[in-house]
Amino acid sequence: QSTTSSMSGLKLSGDKPIQIESDKLEVHQDQSLAIFTGNVSVVQGPTLLKAGKMLVYYVKDGKGEDKAGTDAGGDTQGNASAGSAMTGSANIDHIEVDDKVYIKSNDQVATGDRGTFDMKTEVLVLSGKKVVLSQGPNVLVGCKLTVQMKTGLAQVDACGGRVMMSLTPNSQK
Amino acid sequence: MLARSSEMADADDVLNAAADPAVVPARSSAFGRAQRHSRRVRVLKFAVPLLAVAIAIAFPVYSYLVTPAAIPVKADGSAFSDGKLVMANPKLEGMTKKNLPYSMTALRAIQDPKNENVIELEGIDAKLPIDAKTTAAIDAPHGIYNRETNTLDLDRDVTVKTSDGLVVKLQSAFLDIGKGNMKTDKPVEISRPDSRITADAMTVEDHGKVLIFDDNVHVNIYPAKAKAANKKESGDGVH
Repeated sequence: QSTTSSMSGLKLSGDKPIQIESDKLEVHQDQSLAIFTGNVSVVQGPTLLKAGKMLVYYVKDGKGEDKAGTDAGGDTQGNASAGSAMTGSANIDHIEVDDKVYIKSNDQVATGDRGTFDMKTEVLVLSGKKVVLSQGPNVLVGCKLTVQMKTGLAQVDACGGRVMMSLTPNSQK
Repeated sequence: MLARSSEMADADDVLNAAADPAVVPARSSAFGRAQRHSRRVRVLKFAVPLLAVAIAIAFPVYSYLVTPAAIPVKADGSAFSDGKLVMANPKLEGMTKKNLPYSMTALRAIQDPKNENVIELEGIDAKLPIDAKTTAAIDAPHGIYNRETNTLDLDRDVTVKTSDGLVVKLQSAFLDIGKGNMKTDKPVEISRPDSRITADAMTVEDHGKVLIFDDNVHVNIYPAKAKAANKKESGDGVH
């Protein structure tokens, strides 16, 4: 059983400036991977993400936007994107967050145990024992939240259990 | 003629004396002494020149063997000042474990003869390979290079620029050139056209393959600029 609602704010996009803070950062150039650990907080525009750990995977062979450039510049492009793993420029492949995830955007808040942002399909998935999605007084509880970041469509699945939804009427203006 | 005649006179006296019986024993010992003397002279006449020749040959051979092989560090000029050897513009080159070339030059190198493995360097400019394609240029005003452990301890601010557009500013750095590692426990700032990282400490391992930033890490990514940069780059095909 699942319930959908629209959550336009909850998204991380690849083309807006991002500020990331954490206690520790490990960049593995050859695996195009950056591991942020310890009080990780990510701010992009109105969206704030907090988690215990965040893994950022970069596009390895630099398919990215300019497909044409792939074969000719494949090598250098690949190298460039591997190089960009240094600090993660545009071509992020996907992000995994772990260890108590909290996402807030304008008045919407979502919490869960783990989350993944897939930049290519622009889908955010938050999962865990208890995933809570709230907008102001309205609250949705389930075990999995899937947000289509492009459209803002959010879907909460109960995976077997029941989705708990409480709406406060006068807030539906 | 006068001289000759006097000699003739002496000869007659000697002949007359020979016959006199009292003189015979003294004469035989004198003769023996003379005989020994002449034998000694004959030996020395041969031995002394031989000895001289032997010495003449031995000396150059010995001095050739004692001189050391060529000294490896090339330097424009070197001088002794207050007990330390000071080299101008020293240059050191070598290959890292991954068989990639590294080179290090400095304005001045000061070496204490008592401990010649440790060299104090001023105005350092080092080129370290990150991988086959990219190299890192390291500039530092002052540092201590240890030849034995092949490490470089830079204790004042350091700038590292890599050929793929990365600029690293450190307040100190300890480099293990052979292994290609680096470590610093002072604040660090790393910037690229599209992003910037600051942290309070950093370690670089495996020739720059792995970077570890510790405490108070801030990362700012400006994808929009990066995108524009990529567009511009891919637009005119320059990579």
